[in-house]
Amino acid sequence: MELRCPFCGIRAVSEFNFRSVAPERKEQPASALVYERVNNPDCSLEYWQHVEGCRAWLLITRNPSSGRVDDVRFLVHEA
Amino acid sequence: MTGYQRYSAWSLLKAAMTPQTPWRRMWPRSDPKDRYEVVIVGAGGHGLATAYYLAREHGISRICVLDRSIVGYGNVGRNTTVVRSNYLLPQNHYFYEDSLRRWESLSAELNFNVMYSPRGVIELATSDDEMNRSAQRGNAMRLAGIDAALLDRRQLAAFAPEVDLDYPRRYPIIGGLLQRRGGTVRHDAVAWGYARAAAVHGVEIVENCAVTGLHVAGGVALGVETERGTIRAERIVFAVAGHTGAIGHLLGMRLPIETHLLQAAVTEPVKPFLNTVLVYGYAHTEVYLSQSDRGGVVMGGSLDGFPSYTREGQWSRLEQVVQGAVALLPQMAGLKLLRHWAGTNDMTMDGSPIIDRFGYENVFLNGGWCYGGFKAIPASGAACARFVATGTAPDLIRPYRLSRFHSGHVLDERGMGPFPALQ
Repeated sequence: MELRCPFCGIRAVSEFNFRSVAPERKEQPASALVYERVNNPDCSLEYWQHVEGCRAWLLITRNPSSGRVDDVRFLVHEA
Repeated sequence: MTGYQRYSAWSLLKAAMTPQTPWRRMWPRSDPKDRYEVVIVGAGGHGLATAYYLAREHGISRICVLDRSIVGYGNVGRNTTVVRSNYLLPQNHYFYEDSLRRWESLSAELNFNVMYSPRGVIELATSDDEMNRSAQRGNAMRLAGIDAALLDRRQLAAFAPEVDLDYPRRYPIIGGLLQRRGGTVRHDAVAWGYARAAAVHGVEIVENCAVTGLHVAGGVALGVETERGTIRAERIVFAVAGHTGAIGHLLGMRLPIETHLLQAAVTEPVKPFLNTVLVYGYAHTEVYLSQSDRGGVVMGGSLDGFPSYTREGQWSRLEQVVQGAVALLPQMAGLKLLRHWAGTNDMTMDGSPIIDRFGYENVFLNGGWCYGGFKAIPASGAACARFVATGTAPDLIRPYRLSRFHSGHVLDERGMGPFPALQ
């Protein structure tokens, strides 16, 4: 599997670290925010980091059932 | 028992003398009926064991086990066959010890040789810190009456002479924690043995029949929707291993689970040279290996590192596993890999399983086994069956309730925090 880093181009997935599934932005108890996952088998929104490249934090949209990567974008913090 | 063959040394001898094979199908092909007392989703180790104990111990006769594929296609046929009970937390080591005791007598109970081989499991240590942690875990086990022995370098050399301790490794081995009664069990035989024994007690096994949803009316679960129509059931059990998270999504429930891939590989068969199960963890990875009765070295390592249902492992992880194996046993360097594969693991946020009610009073979840599901099968099946039959969870599985994540009673065996990719 390969990922297209917005800065470094197409690189092997072993250069990247998966950090976590992105939590949904809605009001919920802290325990749910920490522990519960949506587990949609067709779409997963995740935080990754290009640790062996530019070290940018990335927001990746993938289909965990097919392995297809739909979107890789630079993670910009919203104020 | 009519229609079923009882296996024995005599039946084997008689069959060897018979020109045509006298062996019959071990369980009949079934078509689903309209209604059952209990429907179990998932004909893997946990589903079949639950069905078997429900029928045998609790006298429930109308049970159906559904699977979207065939018996043994999922994780029960994809693991690295290791059984052990060397856990630190009391909730875990009592549960897994119950399982290990059941493994010891399972072949006789099922009348099917599951090839339990108590060859010992050694978790190797590469630093003083690891030796301290091994001593702590070994002591916790011994306080619970479970066998554990801390081996120093000399004792290790005597117990596992196949490991050359003088070989120059980046992470030298200084000792290890041995559980003598741990070992391996032939995984396919477990699926077939439980399937056959369940069928003997009247359980129907329906293969190639995917469940597409729960049949709910007025807030009550009445059965399951399948590719072959609605099947009504008084009680429903989900034992779907790596697809537990997806079932949660299907039913609109968020579970403390992520699904990750775990790879395993086996080498070409060679003459016996490895007489124990070795676990070698170093830096941020690990490898565990054993030699099968066929002669292949079976090995596995860490998770692939990100959620996936694809059953296609990453090459880089396989490379790491093989590197670890060769660092541990350099005599393996010339071996060829025969096969490698991946399984989907329902990783929970604390690394411990979940057996609990699932949204409805009569719907049960048996899942979240992470990569420890195989060794748990007999204890899980027996406890889950009692839970389903009586409506009360036995003490052994009470710690595995779903609410522990909200009440703060997580069972984080490895102290990793809510990061399943690192468990």
